[in-house]
Amino acid sequence: MRKWPSVILLLILILGAVLEVRVSRHDYAYQDREATMQQASPDHLAGTDELGRDRLVRVAAALLIGLTGAMAAAAITITIAATVGLLAAFSPSPIAAILMFVSDSFLTVPWLFLLMTARSLLPLTASPLQTAVATFLVLALFGWPACARAICGGATTMRSAESMIQGRACGLRNRQLIRVHVLPHLRPLLLPQFLVCVPAFLVAEANLGALGLGVGEPMPSWGAMLLELDNSALLAQSHWVYLPIAMLVLVLVLLESFTSEAERNA
Amino acid sequence: MGIPIKLTMRVGRTVLLMLCAALGTILLVRFAPGFFSDPREMDAKYAEAARVELQEEKIQQQSVIVISMRELGGWLRGDFGQSRQYHVPVSELIMGRIAVSSSLFINGIVRGWLLAFCAALPMSGLRRGKTMLGLPFTLLLAVPAAAMATACILADAGGAVLVLTLIVAARDFKFLQSLFGSAWNSPHLLQGRAQGLSVRVLFIAHILPNITPQLLALTTLSIVSALSALVPIEVVFTVHGVGQLAWSAVINRDLPVLVAISLLMAFVVGVAELLSMRAYTLEAA
Repeated sequence: MRKWPSVILLLILILGAVLEVRVSRHDYAYQDREATMQQASPDHLAGTDELGRDRLVRVAAALLIGLTGAMAAAAITITIAATVGLLAAFSPSPIAAILMFVSDSFLTVPWLFLLMTARSLLPLTASPLQTAVATFLVLALFGWPACARAICGGATTMRSAESMIQGRACGLRNRQLIRVHVLPHLRPLLLPQFLVCVPAFLVAEANLGALGLGVGEPMPSWGAMLLELDNSALLAQSHWVYLPIAMLVLVLVLLESFTSEAERNA
Repeated sequence: MGIPIKLTMRVGRTVLLMLCAALGTILLVRFAPGFFSDPREMDAKYAEAARVELQEEKIQQQSVIVISMRELGGWLRGDFGQSRQYHVPVSELIMGRIAVSSSLFINGIVRGWLLAFCAALPMSGLRRGKTMLGLPFTLLLAVPAAAMATACILADAGGAVLVLTLIVAARDFKFLQSLFGSAWNSPHLLQGRAQGLSVRVLFIAHILPNITPQLLALTTLSIVSALSALVPIEVVFTVHGVGQLAWSAVINRDLPVLVAISLLMAFVVGVAELLSMRAYTLEAA
């Protein structure tokens, strides 16, 4: 039951962000050159950035884009991980060994470096939307090995269960066994894996963005907004510069507590 | 299977892993847009014929196999090529930075482990309040490495070592806490505690020998996460180490440097993994 406060708070934040993006008079990309680095005012509740863009709308949009992207990437990751994990668990041992070697290889290479390399190889002229899609796609394509290992472990344990042996004895094929018996029983394992991926991808996107390799401007992202913290002149002008990092930490802490609870229940 | 065979297999796996890392990097960089762009083609001092020759040379070098063979041949001769951005031999470039990164890396890992260990051990024995006491580590886990580094610079407190220490500690704390937690609750320890054995004796004689293989496996994970964190930390703190070199190589599509750093990282992780698996093997023997 302890997960509910964090879920409710997270939902309130998401709802608030949706309202802010929909209701606000300012677009996240609109630049008011007459109002750069403004303090909080009725017109701009969290002030503006150095280009005169409304900071609250940008933070709200970054929250929505980040969460949507991270959840989509997590869904892709879990699909790949489930496929690889189940294939490894139900294949002959040489194939399983190769699959697990591939997953270990991905696991052993420091993944920020891997992401950085892959992300930097995209065209320089990509649109902001393309960079956002590419960033989260790269995260999804490199995030599956740890989940695949866990799923393979779970599926291997299940493979030798009595119900499975009986199913095989009754003539069920592996595909049928997986669909009817394994996948429904793996759901308690898949959900925590999905939930673990979401904050991990948010942090990875923020780190990539802070290195200038994340979502392209003017689309708002946590990473791009963290870059503002590097400019000490901006920090002296307004404390609202800290809003994005404060919001990111809050969202991540809420996600972490929700995830820990889900892991404990799994 | 005997220990020598197991070790040979592990060494072979490490070498294969390094080759895969190198080949993967070559493939990624080879197909990156702008990889074959050459500033000499836009230089007016080169005649048309020279530009045609440059283009023909590029076409010959386009094949992944040609690039891989050239790189592999170079490594066997101890030549890692020349950096495209700095125009100096890659080995020279990396050697100068390894000492800087190693010092940061070792300091960060050792201090991070100490911090996580000292926090997790007493907390694992608690019945209540674990979540509240572990909150600082949850918070640290939620802060991206680059943001933590920036915060340190803004606060004018700490440095690259502190940030790496906190990152490693935050990652390891959760694992160590659950590891110690399950060890404390095992039946033979409960009996030992009931018989009045001191915590020191219980820890040295019962807990530590049982969890050593898991601790060594966790070391490998710590090394991987510390290597990942090294890049943003070195970039933000302007530490002239391997992480910063990797970042600049990625930005400038410097293939020889990228491949050499991939090899180095795969080697470090491979050796760490090898040591932890060797411990497992010896334990099993």
